[in-house]
Amino acid sequence: MMSKTKRVLALVLTVLMAISMLAACGEPQPSSTSTTPSTSASASPSSSADPGTTSNVPAEKVTIKWMVIGSNVTDDSDVMAAIEEYLADKINIKLEMIWGTWAAADSERLLTSLNAGDPIDIYFTCSWTPNEYSAMARRGAFVRLDDPNNNLLEKYAPGLFESLHPDLARAAVTDGAAGKGIYAIPTYKEVGQQYTWDLNMTLLKKYGFTVDDITNYYEFGPILEKVKQGEGKDFYPLNAEPFVMERMANSNDLVDAESLLAFYFDPVDPSKSEAVIKARYLTPEFEKYCKKTREYFLAGYINPAAANGQTMGPARTAAQDAAAYAIGTEVYYPGYEYQTGPKRGIEVVYKPAQAGIISTTSARGSMNGISTASKNPDRALQFLYLLNTDPKLFTMLGYGLEGVHYAKFSDDEVIRNPEAQAVYNPWLAGLGKLTQLPRIKGQAPWSVFEDFNKACKGTPILGFAFDTTPVKDQYAALVNVRKEFADALTAGAVDPDTELPKFIEKLKANGMEEVLAEANRQLEEWKAAQ
Amino acid sequence: MYRNTMAIKKKSARLGAVSVPAEILFHIIIGGFGLMCFIPFIFTIIISFTSEKSIAVNGFSFFPEEWSLNAYKYLFERARQVAFSTVSSVISTSVGTVFSVLICVLYSYAMFRKDYKLRQFITFFSFFTMMFGGGLTATYMVSKNLLGLYNNYWALIVPLLVNPFNFIIMRTFYQSSVPDALIESAFIDGSGEYRTLFQIVLPISLPGIATIALFNMIAYWNEWFIGMLYIDKSKLMPLQLLLVKMQQEAEFVAQNSGKIGSISAHMGPVPTESLRMALVVIIVIPIAFAYPFFQRYIISGLTIGAVKG
Repeated sequence: MMSKTKRVLALVLTVLMAISMLAACGEPQPSSTSTTPSTSASASPSSSADPGTTSNVPAEKVTIKWMVIGSNVTDDSDVMAAIEEYLADKINIKLEMIWGTWAAADSERLLTSLNAGDPIDIYFTCSWTPNEYSAMARRGAFVRLDDPNNNLLEKYAPGLFESLHPDLARAAVTDGAAGKGIYAIPTYKEVGQQYTWDLNMTLLKKYGFTVDDITNYYEFGPILEKVKQGEGKDFYPLNAEPFVMERMANSNDLVDAESLLAFYFDPVDPSKSEAVIKARYLTPEFEKYCKKTREYFLAGYINPAAANGQTMGPARTAAQDAAAYAIGTEVYYPGYEYQTGPKRGIEVVYKPAQAGIISTTSARGSMNGISTASKNPDRALQFLYLLNTDPKLFTMLGYGLEGVHYAKFSDDEVIRNPEAQAVYNPWLAGLGKLTQLPRIKGQAPWSVFEDFNKACKGTPILGFAFDTTPVKDQYAALVNVRKEFADALTAGAVDPDTELPKFIEKLKANGMEEVLAEANRQLEEWKAAQ
Repeated sequence: MYRNTMAIKKKSARLGAVSVPAEILFHIIIGGFGLMCFIPFIFTIIISFTSEKSIAVNGFSFFPEEWSLNAYKYLFERARQVAFSTVSSVISTSVGTVFSVLICVLYSYAMFRKDYKLRQFITFFSFFTMMFGGGLTATYMVSKNLLGLYNNYWALIVPLLVNPFNFIIMRTFYQSSVPDALIESAFIDGSGEYRTLFQIVLPISLPGIATIALFNMIAYWNEWFIGMLYIDKSKLMPLQLLLVKMQQEAEFVAQNSGKIGSISAHMGPVPTESLRMALVVIIVIPIAFAYPFFQRYIISGLTIGAVKG
């Protein structure tokens, strides 16, 4: 009797487990066929006409759900109602936003939703969160937008890519489940990244220095010494994020998210760099950097808090706000000095350490993909197109409603209402083309932004993304080794003569060379396919 | 004078009393242990009242240079969200505790009754889920798509209703405090199953129930992961999730600045250290008040066990 029950039970459990496994495998399948029927069916009536014109408003209202991160929104009801009304005679959709914050939990949440095939139409994706663009495209999570059999981009977003920065469009091409193509719409924000020295000119002038005196990291010594002597023992003139400072000192950029690999670029013209990847911590340049930084650290130029990942951020921000620094590091945002100078009560100058570069990481910094689980990919793309071409719509979504969330100051300047912003503050750069927005009073004009984007240059490896899957075990082990040593070494808090050889030995023992070889092999393959 | 001697006499006559020096020593040890638990909390309160500037310059300190109410002011400005979250946490915790205790009492009672045929099956059935799980994606899909646990209070309550570990504790409690003879005699006196459970077994199992209730209550109050998965409406977001998000946002800025270009330029103010501590204070206070209430039963549970032993 008892054993019979057990057998039945075992059977039931096996079936249950099998079902749950099947369910787990029900992630977006890498095939374009699953989406084609629905798109072609719903697309046919409107495919001939121009999108966005009133003559062709779809009769049926659909809800488009969009999940983003980086936002602080607790009440969007009035904005969503206004958008629905505004879109009623255009593309007739109801927008439903799922606002995530910067918390890692929200990125995980987004990935879970994507894996489970939730009925969400648009997802934020990029190069630096768990739902990394190329990996998600490979897994078939996103609809290929320029599919030759069903080119949604041509149908619903004509000219959108042509209007973007050419390098943004170039970086959007990836090897996905439905072939090599475009799987997400990049957001037009600052396309490149430029490492700059954040100079407290008020203080530097006091000691008789000019902008031209600040040249090269390895020659900061005398300047820092003079400031330190004048300002006293508790003053740390070099206010750095050490891992950024290392890249600035040696002109290299990230290749992988965990910063194990480096791409060394030409500081004057990044597009002329040699297309080869190096192991960041094994280079002689890194050793040179560590030795110099150790010298600065021992002389008391660097706050010891910078050696600890937990305390580094708050200490740096506090020093910035109190203007208690001479030279700092900053990844530049066009027009940043307009904000930071008045805030800190000093004259701030951002002096470029090198030319601005456009890398895969920066060009894929913010994108929005249409989920293969979406029932209305065509309508979702129509919406994204409108958002990137209609300033009124984008202003509504980004700033909120005029008179409630912001007030007009002049024709192209607004003042945001801090109270309303406390409940409605989306991350603008995650949504759409930034330059459509009216400027916030006091912000740099968009021309500064456009000039910056024009000046940035693409590197020869722009568009390449390292897939860590083939070496994932070594990679995970190496990340742990890096966590053990890198923070203290890059901040100069430990002696590189004793610690660096230990670090290097441990990296080699855990397969750093294999990972490097794999990265370069993938790079060669990628180059051959260009 | 007379009273004093009486008191001393009484003390020395107390059952199982130890010598005065030993008692002092034990008091010091236990007192020290108590302090070790209590000091971090006091520290948290102090940090929440410390000004950001003092934290940046001197680090955390029991005697900050400069006090500040800024963190609480900020929380007050966000009072709407904090209020929503408190309501959500209180509702899911109270309703969840009642239901989960009820389920636990019923299920473990069935596991306890030796004359129940499927006893072994249901024991194994709950035990199995302790060993194996369906994985995040599968659980998520079943909960959300099949059971509709999304953006409602049930989403916060249902996933924690059944806890096999508590079942086993409760069954063991029944085994040690409810003699079989008691149940048999109840039957002989004509008591039905429900009367036996609710009028005979439950009253003598109160200490066990109180323990389980306390466990469940803390589990519900501290849960944030489920809120993260199934709640997108900010009105329903539990307090702990709010805290976790604030914590992670601050970490994010530290880790990712410089990785993705100028992210900080697009960001609003980042929650500060003192703000996070202020939120911790707000979260801890309600649950701290719940302890004395349950403590009474837990202590009496210990004595019952001793007498029976």
